[in-house]
Amino acid sequence: MAQTQTQTQTQRPCSSILDSLGEEIVRIIAPVSICMFLVVILVSVLNTKSPFDPSMASIVTIAYTETTSDSTWDKFLGALLNSLAFVVVVTVVTFVLVLLFYFRCTRFLKLYMAFSAFVVLGFLGGEVSLFLIQHFSTPLDCITFSLVLCNFAVVGVLAVFMSKMAIFVTQGYLVVIGMLVAYWFTMLPEWTTWAMLVAMALYDLAAVLLPIGPLRLLVELAISRDEEIPALVYEARPVNHGNLSPRDVVQRRLWRDRQRRHENSILQTDYSNTNANSVENASSNPNLNDNSNTSSGSYSYRNLVSVEEGRARVQETDSDLSAPLIDRGMNVQLGRVEDATSSENLLLEGIGLGSSGAIKLGLGDFIFYSVLVGRAAMYDFMTVYACYLAIIAGLGITLMLLALYQKALPALPVSIALGVLFYFLTRLLLEVFVVQCSLNLLLF
Amino acid sequence: MEASESNNPNPNPIRNSLASSVPLWPTIDGPLGLSEEESVSYARRFYNFGFALLPLLWAVNCFYFWPVLRHSHSFPRIRPYVLGSAVGFAVFATLLSSWALTFAIGGERLFGPVWDQLVMYNLADRLGLTGWS
Repeated sequence: MAQTQTQTQTQRPCSSILDSLGEEIVRIIAPVSICMFLVVILVSVLNTKSPFDPSMASIVTIAYTETTSDSTWDKFLGALLNSLAFVVVVTVVTFVLVLLFYFRCTRFLKLYMAFSAFVVLGFLGGEVSLFLIQHFSTPLDCITFSLVLCNFAVVGVLAVFMSKMAIFVTQGYLVVIGMLVAYWFTMLPEWTTWAMLVAMALYDLAAVLLPIGPLRLLVELAISRDEEIPALVYEARPVNHGNLSPRDVVQRRLWRDRQRRHENSILQTDYSNTNANSVENASSNPNLNDNSNTSSGSYSYRNLVSVEEGRARVQETDSDLSAPLIDRGMNVQLGRVEDATSSENLLLEGIGLGSSGAIKLGLGDFIFYSVLVGRAAMYDFMTVYACYLAIIAGLGITLMLLALYQKALPALPVSIALGVLFYFLTRLLLEVFVVQCSLNLLLF
Repeated sequence: MEASESNNPNPNPIRNSLASSVPLWPTIDGPLGLSEEESVSYARRFYNFGFALLPLLWAVNCFYFWPVLRHSHSFPRIRPYVLGSAVGFAVFATLLSSWALTFAIGGERLFGPVWDQLVMYNLADRLGLTGWS
């Protein structure tokens, strides 16, 4: 029987690495692209007036408030001061988050982040929709509006923090939160925005790679305790490699659940026996139910797809936590399972390695990518295309580095560097070229 | 037992009948979602919380447990809650949309000066809701 099983498996060729790798990359690039696209649409629809509202006082403009009458050097200096202040605030808040996580105040963190998500969805979402209503003059009454907004915000908070919900709904809400915060950030003055993007990219680089960096401390704490990081993290669906039927996924999951309970290798052979016999999963189902009922640790396979909670933020400042890109390798090829040595896989699991994993991208990365593209949209669509391609290229490079180094990496620096570079190059060089070509009816 | 996995020439009818009559997972996420035991408590919780003027929660409930709705004789414990959520959402949606459409289409002719006080963009201007950020 085991022979026919392996025969059927080898007869179906394993899907190529392009299928699985491409699918994983697409599953993380698609939401990033959607977020950027929504922000570009919002910016282009709503920002027909001057982008800087002088009445906007927040901690980001604490050092300097840009006015159009200042000289270039003043604006530049002011932007630098602003971004420096912003990075300092973000660093302090992240260290506070690490401290709270160290002292296991997870409940407080969770509540605080649920509250901040509610504020973002309720207030920022309400404000953006009011802008849209005013722009399009839709005759919506206040009762309907408040009811829909309230629903939207409450269900969003539930989806992201409190409860397990459809993956699609959770992912959708995360993208919406990223879009709202990014739109709010695009309302900052121009020089400050660019300086802040560069500063945040440098901060991300330092915070994740330096040994004293707060994000690195956070990741190491979470791994050592085998807990989830309290941050808003977008997690792509794990890729089901080719020839695995859902039943095999069940068994694979069952194996992971068992492994997490550090059961001895007898169960491993038990599992491989059931696999080899290809018995109907009636036998494995009750086991799965048993496993799901035990509450040993919060770290079952299912938590992999539930979004992690919380995020350090100061209200109004949105000092976002750019959680690093982590490859939590939780899926194991079925072939590997059958001859797996449990200890080796435990170790791999611990540091988040594995053959393939659900890629996680912090929501701060979504936000800053979208801010860059939104700011580019305020100039022209040409810069939007250039910056979008640059950011996606940067994200691809970061994913490749992730596969290479197999540890948590900062997702901001490469993309922001390429994006900023391409924005200024486009604005200085490409635009002239394209405009002249168009005017002379040569091209475009 | 072995027949289901061996290379019999026509495995499809068995699989199809199994798949359509007894879906394994009650949630739309399939194996990544909840098991049946947890689903009951989740469905019940979503159904009860939806009564707090949260029809969107009912809609999410129906979406999440879509396999329960589709296959009418599966998961007998979850089904009443999901069905109740579907009915509740449909009723609420019709009520709300009829009110919103009446308000939008009727306009001032129907409501008189109250319309100007109720419409959102006037209210936003009056209360200065879009001034702060």
